[in-house]
Amino acid sequence: MNDIQLPAIDYAALLPMLIVFGAACVGILVEAFAPRGWRFVIQVSLTIGGLVAGLVAIIVNRDLEITTIGGAVTVDGPGLFLQGAIIILGIVSLGLIAERRLERGGPFVAEAAHAANSDGDKRQEREPGATEVFPLTLFAIAGMMLFCVSGDLLTMFVALEVFSLPLYLLCGLARRRRLISQEAALKYFLLGAFASAFFLYGVALLYGYAGTVSLTGIREGVLQSEQSGILLAAGLALLAIGLLFKAAAVPFHVWTPDVYQGAPTPVTALMAACTKAAAFGGLLRVFNVAFETTAWDWQPVLATVAILTMVVGSILAVAQTDIKRLLAYSSVANAGYLLVGVVSLNGAVGSSLFYLIAYGFSVLGAFAMVTLVRDSEGEATHLSRWAGLGKGSPLFSALFTFLMLGFAGIPLTSGFTSKFALFSSAWDSDQSVLVIVGVLSSVVLAFPYLKVVVLLWLNPPGEETPTVSVPSMLTRAVIFAGVAVTFVLGVAPSFLLDIVADAGPFLAK
Amino acid sequence: MTVTDVLVCALGAVSLGAALRVVTSKHLVRAGLWLVVALGSLAGVYLVLTAELLAWVQVLIYVGAVVVLMLFAVMLTRAPIGPSDDLDRAKVPGVLIGGGAGLGLAAVLVDAYRWREVGLSDVEPGDAGAMGREVFTSWVLPFELLSVLLLAALIGAIVVSRPDVGQRSR
Repeated sequence: MNDIQLPAIDYAALLPMLIVFGAACVGILVEAFAPRGWRFVIQVSLTIGGLVAGLVAIIVNRDLEITTIGGAVTVDGPGLFLQGAIIILGIVSLGLIAERRLERGGPFVAEAAHAANSDGDKRQEREPGATEVFPLTLFAIAGMMLFCVSGDLLTMFVALEVFSLPLYLLCGLARRRRLISQEAALKYFLLGAFASAFFLYGVALLYGYAGTVSLTGIREGVLQSEQSGILLAAGLALLAIGLLFKAAAVPFHVWTPDVYQGAPTPVTALMAACTKAAAFGGLLRVFNVAFETTAWDWQPVLATVAILTMVVGSILAVAQTDIKRLLAYSSVANAGYLLVGVVSLNGAVGSSLFYLIAYGFSVLGAFAMVTLVRDSEGEATHLSRWAGLGKGSPLFSALFTFLMLGFAGIPLTSGFTSKFALFSSAWDSDQSVLVIVGVLSSVVLAFPYLKVVVLLWLNPPGEETPTVSVPSMLTRAVIFAGVAVTFVLGVAPSFLLDIVADAGPFLAK
Repeated sequence: MTVTDVLVCALGAVSLGAALRVVTSKHLVRAGLWLVVALGSLAGVYLVLTAELLAWVQVLIYVGAVVVLMLFAVMLTRAPIGPSDDLDRAKVPGVLIGGGAGLGLAAVLVDAYRWREVGLSDVEPGDAGAMGREVFTSWVLPFELLSVLLLAALIGAIVVSRPDVGQRSR
């Protein structure tokens, strides 16, 4: 029986993802065959090499606009930009994942199977961390890249699982404070599985409505389908729940603070930067391609979610006493600002992409600096321990202050330009209520950031102020990248704004 | 009422009743066995609706693998004989959420399809050949991607469960 014909495959369009997936598979072989002492070096160079090669492939592809492999992948301007953003942010966060000077053996546990605080757990304290984290990170990044260019909901679902599963695992691998790390992994896993079920049920209902799961097919189905509109509404609602969970929008944000706090800080940084880019890439594509023509139906609902997210995120951030939880709630509030971009549809795609890059670099820099404040127990993340750090470590405190001011949206930082770009394009798309709420909530959100700044400089040091460790070149490079991009995008944003303008709209044919 | 209608309704009722017993039974092992009935009759519904392959996959994976795995987990951890009175099952929220979700979805589907009829002869039977053609034509990328997902899951399972990863030979 020879009637099976493969759909046409454009390998050039798939190349960036194939490279990263390939590097991950080679990484697994390295685990199996390379001598133990060499693994770390090989894995780090392989991972960075794979990501850089993927980035080069994306740059070569930059003008590509094509739907290939039976409609499963749609490569277009915004998709390529998101892929590039995820790879660049991934490379930067790899600097934190590969850091081994701050703590002997790196930030990851050597043997995750030991019960927390057991003898075995204590014995392994000085063992080098598991090097499987590198292939797992590559799988996650490749999954995110595919998520942003999926042309149908089924591919999107599989990509969602491909990037989520490694993240669930990575969350449970922190070297210190094993218990809350394991709690974070389990919580993320269970809630993530729950959200995936919502996503799938939404896909099933949408298939019932449109008779297809391809995004462009649903777009056409909306105009032609004879099915009842309630199927479309219910399917869209369930699908959106699955996506908003990954994006950490209120009321699907409850996992965020616990997971951000419990996960190893490098993984938290990866999630805050890359997962956010992937989740919003998916949201933007789904709403712009499949549901643009029904915008009147869902815009009010999504706008409500955006308002809730901005308000709840920024208000709860005020009450936090742990720097990682504070950054988690700030990430929730930032998800709200990005949702404003999603609600504004095509008018705000470019500024949303810009916002993702600006926020990603700032948050990577901030989490990189969180890894430096340590005592004998590991990272000292409780804010009271940070009091008076400015006296002993002025450079650290100055850089952290700059990043905090960037988050707060002070002019001359990327926080200002990105919020300005996003809100002004949302204003032009007639989302004035959302913009007003956004501006007000970012004023509220400035308060916790400034609280940290006051704590660093004006409060007297406590009895046991932790020290600011001296990191290796890797973490230094991450901090430099975070601070530099925050500054450059604040002073001269036009370069990147031109690129996102060139990326154009999503391909909806 | 055709034979198909009767069969679908009967199997559906069996499935629903068994599912209710799964969540109300105080015996853990019995709950697991009721799950076999629930999933098995669902496979019967698939079979009646000509989704042949799906029905057998349902039997193999859910009845064969998942339930057996759950029973093994019960055996290896607590091995309770007789009723377990300490099951932490919140009744009121359970009824509210389960009933609400069930009724809500039923309302959506009933409202969407009303009394529309699709003749069984109009649909292509979901046998292995049809499924294979779909998997290797339209869905070849997601299908290949699933192998990547399984590989990642495998590596992850090794990382979290093997106690001597990263340990030097002593």
